[in-house]
Amino acid sequence: MAVFPSTAGAQQAERRLRNSGRGDGRSPAGGAGAGAKGGRRSQRAAYLFIAPIALGFLVFYIWPLLETFWFSFTSFGAFGGNSWVGGENYERVVRDVTVGRALGNTVLYMVMGLMTLPVAIVLAELMNRRGLRGVPVYRALYFMPFVTLPAAVGLVWNWLYNGDFGMVNEALSWIGVDGRYWVSDPSTAVYAIGIVMIWSHIGYYLIIFTAGVKAIPRDYYEAAEIDGAGPLRRFFRITLPLLSPSIFFASVICVINSLQQFDLIFVMMSPENPALGETQSIVTLFFKWAFDENSQGAAAALAFLLMLLIAALTYLQFRFQKRWVHYA
Amino acid sequence: MRRRTLLAGALAATPVAAGAATGCSAGGASARTSGGRTTISYGMWDQLQVAGMEKIIKAFEAEHPKISVSIQVTPFTSYWTTLKTAMRGGSAPDVFWMNAVNLQLYASEGVLEPLDPFIERDGFDMGVHPEELLRMYTYERTRYAMPKDFDTIGLWYNKELFDKAGIKYPDESWTWDTVRDAAAELTDPRAGVHGIAAEMSRQYTYYNSIAQAGGYVIRDGRSGFGDPRTIDGLRFWTDLIDRGHSPSQSAMTDTRGRQLYLSEKVAMNYDLSAMASQMYAEPAIKDHGAVAVLPKGRERGTTIHGLANAISGKSPNTEAAWEFVRFLGSRKAAEIQAREGVTISSYEGTQDAWVKSMPEFDLKVFTDMLDYAVPYPASKYTTVWENLQPQLLGGPFTGKGGIEDASRTLGRQMDLALEQEK
Amino acid sequence: MPEPAPVTPAAAAAVATTRDPAAPAAAASGRPARGRRFDPASVATHAVLSLGALAMIFPFLWQLLTAFKTMPEAVRVPPTILPEAWNWAAFEQVFTAVPFAEMLTNSLLNTAGRTLGQLVFCSLAAYAFARLQFRGRNLLFAVFLSVLMVPPQLLVLPQHEIMMKLGLLNSVPALFLPGMFSAFGTFLLRQFFLALPRELEEAARIDGAGPFRIFWSIMLPLVRPALAALAVITAMWSWNDLLWPLVVNTDPAKAPVSAGLISLEGQFMTNYPVMMAGSVIASLPMLLLYVLLQRHFVQGIALSGSKG
Repeated sequence: MAVFPSTAGAQQAERRLRNSGRGDGRSPAGGAGAGAKGGRRSQRAAYLFIAPIALGFLVFYIWPLLETFWFSFTSFGAFGGNSWVGGENYERVVRDVTVGRALGNTVLYMVMGLMTLPVAIVLAELMNRRGLRGVPVYRALYFMPFVTLPAAVGLVWNWLYNGDFGMVNEALSWIGVDGRYWVSDPSTAVYAIGIVMIWSHIGYYLIIFTAGVKAIPRDYYEAAEIDGAGPLRRFFRITLPLLSPSIFFASVICVINSLQQFDLIFVMMSPENPALGETQSIVTLFFKWAFDENSQGAAAALAFLLMLLIAALTYLQFRFQKRWVHYA
Repeated sequence: MRRRTLLAGALAATPVAAGAATGCSAGGASARTSGGRTTISYGMWDQLQVAGMEKIIKAFEAEHPKISVSIQVTPFTSYWTTLKTAMRGGSAPDVFWMNAVNLQLYASEGVLEPLDPFIERDGFDMGVHPEELLRMYTYERTRYAMPKDFDTIGLWYNKELFDKAGIKYPDESWTWDTVRDAAAELTDPRAGVHGIAAEMSRQYTYYNSIAQAGGYVIRDGRSGFGDPRTIDGLRFWTDLIDRGHSPSQSAMTDTRGRQLYLSEKVAMNYDLSAMASQMYAEPAIKDHGAVAVLPKGRERGTTIHGLANAISGKSPNTEAAWEFVRFLGSRKAAEIQAREGVTISSYEGTQDAWVKSMPEFDLKVFTDMLDYAVPYPASKYTTVWENLQPQLLGGPFTGKGGIEDASRTLGRQMDLALEQEK
Repeated sequence: MPEPAPVTPAAAAAVATTRDPAAPAAAASGRPARGRRFDPASVATHAVLSLGALAMIFPFLWQLLTAFKTMPEAVRVPPTILPEAWNWAAFEQVFTAVPFAEMLTNSLLNTAGRTLGQLVFCSLAAYAFARLQFRGRNLLFAVFLSVLMVPPQLLVLPQHEIMMKLGLLNSVPALFLPGMFSAFGTFLLRQFFLALPRELEEAARIDGAGPFRIFWSIMLPLVRPALAALAVITAMWSWNDLLWPLVVNTDPAKAPVSAGLISLEGQFMTNYPVMMAGSVIASLPMLLLYVLLQRHFVQGIALSGSKG
């Protein structure tokens, strides 16, 4: 592909390097070409290299961030222009019962999201079995849902969950269980979505944990085996502690991602679904306020609330990692 | 302020259009148009109505050779967001469809051209359109849109299922009690048939029963959901679900009430007049389907809603746009529309063609109900409190939680939202 | 100057995986296979894993099977497993019901735009941050990192305003413009550039090569695995992105499939074969890409974490 420059140049350089024997093995990082002339030239080049993306960030990320902050104190005219309203938007966020419910739902999504981790750890451990065949195939299959379009995933699961013709109820009927309307029953909808969430993310965490498990030296297990430790004991005494950095990383990511839950809920819950109130997340509520109800100001305030929540939880996770994460 | 300057600028920049328009209102083509044709754009969302609209436009262009109209269809799901951003960017269509939900927002923000000056100047008789529709499109005593069509709600029922249960067909004598009794009789769990579809739907179901109970949705900028009569109107439906005479709202999210009626799984369904043609297209329903006026509660009531044609306040071709809107509001256009059989024209006396277009159904009930029709409730930011309804009423409509508490909470939240409008 | 520590765990994982090429090999070869001796534990493991795998792919199978059924067959109770007759009608209907071909094109352009943009812009900046010395480097890099921390929803409103002011709403460029710039991509590539030996660069510099030449013909080829991983991951996020397209392109003909599938749902609430056919077609390109470039996906995922 044309995107990737050919390696020819690099090989040539390497060859020249070998011939001239100039490599002096200096520390690879940090120390830039200190020579004054090259320095100024590389300085100018550096700014040129960074300029395009810096411009993009300024326009599409940094300026918008400041603007959102300003938006959260204004009220939008439906057809342009906004006026200062002070803390009114934040007041609305606090007073609106739908926000409270969305917050509760979002926390529930987070808890369910975290339940993906133990499943993925166990799977990673199983796949790590010595001499097990077909692991790449398993890994490929488990990862498939994660690559799939969330909209398609939502549609398929809605179809499986359908109370009248869905496969889930059909399967339950084989074992004599009465089905329900999973995604439109207010008492089950949020869990129905949670299951799809878990289903589609298992493969992702599996890959993270597989990398972590593989990095654990085999000798540890062999030594434990010689000491007579069974598989369970080995799992709890060796795998889990040594995997803890990966688990920590995965749980940080998982919390961030599940707090931003939007796609599946948006696709699976139609506007007239009676379980809407029980499944709405902060981000779906944000979308509704901002683009359906013309409350961009309050939506901006809500987005800040979400950011604070994410920041706080991430901070707490980092704060408490010392207690359980073992870096080798 | 800024808007007015923009408008003035736009007008000044298009002498051709202004000339053409003056020529028209002076009665026909004029040399002052510099030979140019004025093209106006017409925004709408219903693909089904495009064919009829093209006929109307042809007739219009025949009468006004200096104006041509181009249709812009935007699907309903994106119609309002697109229109809003087009308004901000100054590229909105000259004439476009308006509904009750959005009228007050657009009118109060000054992006609609007031029609009063034109109506008065031309002496156009607005009385040919139903009073409720005119009120729907009036904001602060100024008229902003020309009614186009209307919908009322009727009681659709299945004659065969009624015959099987040995019950007399619904008629004017029916009340809520008759509905309850009939729904109980008609429900047949073994056949998977329910008496009625108590769907959680504003326009089709509970806005009607709220009016029939003597309650209201919004009055003088305050919510009516805390009102005991309004709650009675809601309870009419949730009771039917609780007793098992209707599928719960969960079931009707997976398969809508209308779908259940079409597949003969419910014996009664409250539905739109505009659905007649769809019912007619379904062979089983063409044979077994029928429609009656809505049963009486404390009072009689049905929800009326209709679309209207509005002129963009940012249009540089206001005169030409008015000519088109006036034509759309005329008997001629209404008759073309009625013959298409998609919607009921709002122009008085043109409904017969529609009523007669499906002789198997007694469609006259829909126009008979005009006497006590209640306009579809709206405020400036209607969507905001409309969105609250499924969230808060969803529980009771699926048999979870009482309707009274839910409705009162809804009332409080809606009042909060209405306060924000001020 | 000490080697800068990876700032996020993602990067740590990145470095760990790339620096340990021996690990997978060791795991694969392990020790000599135990032959074909019956091993109950192994059978049990296979049983659990296969059951899980079935749960993973069943929805896809069911989707595919439904797409070939007729509507009455799709809603039959109890359901048929295999379609009575394989009919393709639903696949054709998808294209007539909504502008599906346009949506696929939009998705393709969106994906290509974001991926190319990120490869170019991120590699340039990453190289500068990793290998060049300039004033304000640390401060600038800190600003970049802070962009990485901001939840994307926070930026959607002003970004929408910007697109409106540029007159780009309902256009293909609106889909990919903000997504061409990625703090994550920069960060990821920077980690790779940092790990390269200094000698190559210096040799080239003494030979009189300019900074761009060094970057393009010497350094960039060496981070190809990282570029491939970034490309694949960016492609996936772009193809699947939903919130942003919903915001900027409300016109179905300008929407990518990720958002377009929803308009299919709106129009065909009850026609499941058509909806399933649409889902199959829409997710096929990414699944194919995944099958072909699995290694890069896995690497990209192991490196990533937050959305690109």
